[in-house]
Amino acid sequence: MTKQSLFRMTLAILLAALCAAGTVAAADLKIGAAEALSGPAGQYGQSIRNGFQLAADEINAAGGVKGNKVVLQVEDEQGKKEEAIDVFKKLIFQDKVLMLFGPTLSNSAQAADPIAQSAKVVVFGTSNTAEGITSIGDHVFRNSVTEADVLPVTLSVAAKNAKIKKVAVLYGNDDVFTKSGYDAFKKALDDLKIGVTTTETFAKGDVDFKAQLTKIKASNPDAIVLSALIAEGAPIMVQARQLGINLPFIGGNGMNSVKIFDLAKDKSDNLWVGSPWALSSQSKENQRFVASYKQKYQADPDQFAAQAYDAMHIAAQAIGKIKLSGNLEADRKALRDAMATVSWTGATGAFKFRRAMGADGKPAGYDAQQTAIVSVTRGGKYEIKR
Amino acid sequence: MEGFDNFWAVYSNLVLSIGINALLAISIWFTLSCGLLAMANAAFMGIGAYTAALLTMKAGASFTVALLGGIGAPLAVALIIGMPTLRLSGVYLAMATLGFGEVVRILILNAERWTGGALGLNGIPQLTQWWHVLASLVAVLLVLWRLRRSRVGRAFEAIKEDDVAAALMGIGVMSHKLLAFALGAGIAGLAGALNAHLTFFIGPAEYGFERGIDILTMAVLGGTGGLAGPVVGALVITLLPEFLRSFRNYRLMINGVILVLIVLFLPKGIWDPSRVRQWLKRSRRGMPDNTAGVR
Repeated sequence: MTKQSLFRMTLAILLAALCAAGTVAAADLKIGAAEALSGPAGQYGQSIRNGFQLAADEINAAGGVKGNKVVLQVEDEQGKKEEAIDVFKKLIFQDKVLMLFGPTLSNSAQAADPIAQSAKVVVFGTSNTAEGITSIGDHVFRNSVTEADVLPVTLSVAAKNAKIKKVAVLYGNDDVFTKSGYDAFKKALDDLKIGVTTTETFAKGDVDFKAQLTKIKASNPDAIVLSALIAEGAPIMVQARQLGINLPFIGGNGMNSVKIFDLAKDKSDNLWVGSPWALSSQSKENQRFVASYKQKYQADPDQFAAQAYDAMHIAAQAIGKIKLSGNLEADRKALRDAMATVSWTGATGAFKFRRAMGADGKPAGYDAQQTAIVSVTRGGKYEIKR
Repeated sequence: MEGFDNFWAVYSNLVLSIGINALLAISIWFTLSCGLLAMANAAFMGIGAYTAALLTMKAGASFTVALLGGIGAPLAVALIIGMPTLRLSGVYLAMATLGFGEVVRILILNAERWTGGALGLNGIPQLTQWWHVLASLVAVLLVLWRLRRSRVGRAFEAIKEDDVAAALMGIGVMSHKLLAFALGAGIAGLAGALNAHLTFFIGPAEYGFERGIDILTMAVLGGTGGLAGPVVGALVITLLPEFLRSFRNYRLMINGVILVLIVLFLPKGIWDPSRVRQWLKRSRRGMPDNTAGVR
């Protein structure tokens, strides 16, 4: 058995080496991406891959980066931390990519980004919104806007438009997204001096929320702040309306999905969400992105695709600024320094990087500096509000 | 040598994962070899991982202390919950231990001040070296190999075959079951502690039902007949998806098909000495039989 597996392992390595040798020409810019193409986070990963591919095709069609073709290598990390580490190692040490995108989930990023950091390779997250990802080190970048940046904007716009003085809070306490969303909401509510009448929780997979909603109704708030994923968030909205609670809902990132219109149908009105990107945003960059995405994939893009699309363009800008020496280590270092200085206007609007602080108080990686777009649902559509 | 360095840079995590998974598979194999279908190993792994990670991160303990804590904490918990639950048998024990696993997961979720809740523990120092994993695996295998040939090992075997008969022969059924359960928990905890210090991050979702099934699959697929079974199972389950990476979108499907085929054709697991012997015998006898048919 051991002999056979050893043989197979060598065979696999030989094969991989052959494949690698076949695709690399002198002027190819090899960019790796580790995304969750399968598993529970698969739908996000696939959107992200589409976004990357679309941008890479555009860049190559326009003659590449200073004549060099972008070669995108996307590997599946299944949304698991061990897989993410394996894929990062493979892309960095075996495929020798110039830089990395991914991974899809924040948890995987916590596990895999230190690998890239210690190998001194730029790792660029397009969907990691949890706190502390960029404090891992100075090679960690992201263009995903964190909830800590989005939610204060969502709250203040909603409070101004709907005259909200006090809110009830409802969140899922067993999920990374919804829990970190709640933490960000709590901080934003404190900062904006909006009172909280009651705080209720639920768990993933719950289907009946009437107990929490009845309590919330009794506490008489002006609005309900909801940090939930769409699977629980949609039934929460439906059940609230059934109980006669016609208050506005203010949702976190998890509620920002067009699926709400399918799931909550006529009960989907009056949900306020903030996002760095909106399908209906009228900027010419976004219009072009949406049109070409629809043409290529026969579907509407989502936020994940938009951020991946922009990330690829941002990376191309950075690569365009450096002089490739052919020495991989030197090129990776030059790319890191160039990346921090990029500013770009893409589908998600004007963008630049902002230095984040590490756990030790020293400057570490780079977060996104971007303004959120706040919209409210009306009759099965998003309306952008200011 | 450069070739090896490169191989290690790419695959070190995978190789160490095999070792850790092997420990996990052994931990459940151990209770299975005593006739207990206990499904709490993922939870024990979690207890070990959190204990060890908290020891190094919050208490500043050395890695040795953390590993000992990672073994000790689940072992102690196993002794406590083992006493009532091990009176159950068969699927009822599986259900009770699954329930316990869920309790642990939710406890970790809600003990936010210590465990970080759903966000998990980040920035765990990477202290696990290859020889830690190798030494742990070798030590565990050696101990269990000796144990199987000892009085205690024979007692486990007797209990597995028939616990009433074993009790009538004068074997302390309950204490032996408890021993197997607690040792299994300790091994799972060790695996958890090693894993936590390898991957920088642990979260409560990792130690749920899915992980429990993974562990059981490794042990059952490898074969429960001998000590090599769970190691082989861990090897196959960990490596198979990597070998199939080039199939891209069809990877998990092919992975599943291969596992189903193994279970169909090797119902007692991959490592099944009696079947291998049978095959050898048949092929040796096969030749003259065939010629006889021709004649």
